[in-house]
Amino acid sequence: MKRDSNKWALLTVAILVFIALPVVTIGIELFSGPGETWGHIVDNLLPDYLWNSLFLILACGILVLLFGVSTAWLVARFEFPLRKQLEWLLILPLAIPGYIVAYAYAGIFDYGGSFQLLLEAAGLEFVRIDIMNKFGLAFVLGISLFPYVYVSSRAFFINQANSLLEASEMLGVGQFKTFFRLMLPMARPAIVAGLILVLMEVLNDYGAAKYYGVNTFTVGIFRSWFALEEPETAVYLSALLIVIVFTLILLEKFQRRKVQFNSNRSNNRSIDRKKPGRRQQVLIFIAVLIPVLLGFIFPLSQLIFWAVLTFDKVFDASFLALSLQSFWIACLTAFVTVVMAITLIYFSKWSRLGFIKNIAKLGVLGYAIPGAVIAIGIMIPMISIDKWLISFFDRFFNMDVGLLITGTVVALIYAYVVRFLAVAYNPIESTSLKVSNTIPDSSRILGVGNISTFFKIEFPLIRTGIASAFILVFIDALKELPLTLILKPFHVNTLAVKAYEYASDEMVMEAAIPSLFIIVTVMLPVIFLNRMLIK
Amino acid sequence: MKRFLLALATMAVLTGCKNEKQETTAASEKSGEVNVYTHRHYAADQELFKQFEEKTGIKVNVINANADELIQKMKIEGEHSPADVLITVDAGRLTRAKDQELLQTIDSEILDNTIASHLKDPDNQWFGLTKRARIVAYAPERVDSTQLSTYEDLATEKWEDRILIRSSENIYNQSLLASIIAHSGEAAAKEWAEGMVESMARAPKGNDRDQVKAVVAGEGDIAIVNTYYIGNLLNSENPEEVKAGESVKIFFPNQEGRGTHINVSGAGVARNAPNKENAIKFIEFLVSKEAQEVFANSNYEYPVNEEVEPAQLLQSWGEFKEDRLNLSELGEHNKEAVLIFDEAGWK
Repeated sequence: MKRDSNKWALLTVAILVFIALPVVTIGIELFSGPGETWGHIVDNLLPDYLWNSLFLILACGILVLLFGVSTAWLVARFEFPLRKQLEWLLILPLAIPGYIVAYAYAGIFDYGGSFQLLLEAAGLEFVRIDIMNKFGLAFVLGISLFPYVYVSSRAFFINQANSLLEASEMLGVGQFKTFFRLMLPMARPAIVAGLILVLMEVLNDYGAAKYYGVNTFTVGIFRSWFALEEPETAVYLSALLIVIVFTLILLEKFQRRKVQFNSNRSNNRSIDRKKPGRRQQVLIFIAVLIPVLLGFIFPLSQLIFWAVLTFDKVFDASFLALSLQSFWIACLTAFVTVVMAITLIYFSKWSRLGFIKNIAKLGVLGYAIPGAVIAIGIMIPMISIDKWLISFFDRFFNMDVGLLITGTVVALIYAYVVRFLAVAYNPIESTSLKVSNTIPDSSRILGVGNISTFFKIEFPLIRTGIASAFILVFIDALKELPLTLILKPFHVNTLAVKAYEYASDEMVMEAAIPSLFIIVTVMLPVIFLNRMLIK
Repeated sequence: MKRFLLALATMAVLTGCKNEKQETTAASEKSGEVNVYTHRHYAADQELFKQFEEKTGIKVNVINANADELIQKMKIEGEHSPADVLITVDAGRLTRAKDQELLQTIDSEILDNTIASHLKDPDNQWFGLTKRARIVAYAPERVDSTQLSTYEDLATEKWEDRILIRSSENIYNQSLLASIIAHSGEAAAKEWAEGMVESMARAPKGNDRDQVKAVVAGEGDIAIVNTYYIGNLLNSENPEEVKAGESVKIFFPNQEGRGTHINVSGAGVARNAPNKENAIKFIEFLVSKEAQEVFANSNYEYPVNEEVEPAQLLQSWGEFKEDRLNLSELGEHNKEAVLIFDEAGWK
């Protein structure tokens, strides 16, 4: 038994080393000290970066909790018109990249934008709403990211809540009290898992913040890395950012440890939905519809409007090929990432060593690091391996092989895995926490190995967690931009890159068609996997 | 679920194989290709690359990204970099690539004869492809054009809370300030940046097109933008943008003095280019008459080849005196410019 647990501990560490490689590469750079403009940045820019980033964390956090948890509760608990459709429509805001939503909203409230045209059509006076500031940015990011919280808390409400609700009902506790006193605290691990993803996304955003003129940490990282040409300084800023994220994670862990909420039984029966009165149904319908409108329908309509204007200019056959390529890369990424997350969670569990379980959590840190920084952190070691391979082949086979890994899909997917491991890790972990240990334990006592126990018993139980993990990574990979820009091979192009190319050349309208393709590509698996999730 | 995963894994393997095959075929045809790292991503560019392929049989492979990221990429790839040509939308970035020893000196009669000396690197490491001027777009009903004179004048009290200009993150602003540093020194440049911050009608945000639209919406009276954005607005598919483009007038600053600030989008041959000959042919093609005509007429940039006329619209604005400062100076003063912007509080 002892030797066995050592094996799993070693495997966990091996995976962690693989995941941590780019982060460690960046970490080593820290020892060379910040660049000469560090003082300049501290004096002139740092307070602004800190203040804006903290403001965004707070404002977006409140917004996504409000929208994410309330909608999850309503669709899980009540029957109302179009509930099934709204249930998956609520995931779709994630289909539009944050910076595209930002462009769309700027377009809506622009001079001569849809909002003005609408007011004019209604015969009202034009009131210009300025959305391009930090409040607007918090709104845009919040409205496009709340589905992270929605997905994770809904999975909890649907799969876990039934027996508790029955108990609460039998005891005659009212709806509101049940929600606030019982369900909310119970769902906390699931909600927080989603929330942390949102906050990391917020801290990573570059495109939207830059366009809206809000100086955040990530804008600062790009600025010091590229405009000031001081990677050392950028690394220092990244390190500060990681400290912020770490503090958030630890605070939550510490808080949660005080109260143990682990339910000691799993329950896969689906929830029984209540059918409230007519008027209440309409109110619930409206409450659920608002976030869908704001996060999906409005920006989508703006994009469709632009796409109609620019269709002939942008669309051709190569576009379909491009979409297909994007789709496969995202699928492959999601698959690899989910497998890595599962192995990390279960290997560390099987090792039965407390500290291994704790350090396994470190694997998710990649998500807190801006894509561009990860890309550089991957390129540096990859190039050394490549150089080694070149000299190896040159010496023994007298062949010039060129760069084998850098500039191929391998490096790109490696980077995606590092970046998105947290996206897969959290939903899988939170569902796995709810699986009681008694059945797998007895299986092991009966001599069945860890791996076959996993496939026979645990895998079916955490299936929903795996499915959400897959959807989320797929969506993220399809939308990912800064990292893809740096690591993508010559022959590969993605929709996100295409959309960015247009947008960065101030052809925002032309960016609408690739954006719409992203949305369509994301919608198909969302619908497919959502069905599985509900079953 | 299992079947789904299995299918996925199979497809993953297939995608992997397909890619490998592509890589190897690409490698075997090494003689017949040119690898281009470019910050330009206009439809016209793709059209030109296709024309080049048809004309010479040399295949053009493109990586599109921000110039800064491309430069980092080339630096890390080092001597094994597949890059042959680096194209940026700003002379400052090309100078930076040169300073980091990523480009090489090119001896080409065609390039020497076509491109004016201030539009290329003194050591022939990079060459301008198209010109753009950073000009003033103003609301004629609120601004008397006789009041307009120089960039320096815009930083005076007269224009307090009236000017729209984008963030200092933007390379065109960095280069404009770099040109002022080159002409008048750092102290004057800092004073200018501080004055400009006072002149701003709002905190900088959005892109160049947005500045023009904000003028039309009445948020300010003057926008500082690149010429081709006005052209793009006037030819937009969106009628509201066309209206915005039509309601501003163009002014070329500093005509009495050193001339209006210009910049180029340009190209250089990578230091470790595996296909150097093709790279030179490629750049020579881009400054040829036929290619320059495509540049001039599709994106409203001024051609560097003097045999080619600018687009009708640009001709309608009349000729202007351009600042003949060698553009490599923009790169040399770039970092100072960024630091001055931060100190002046220009977001």
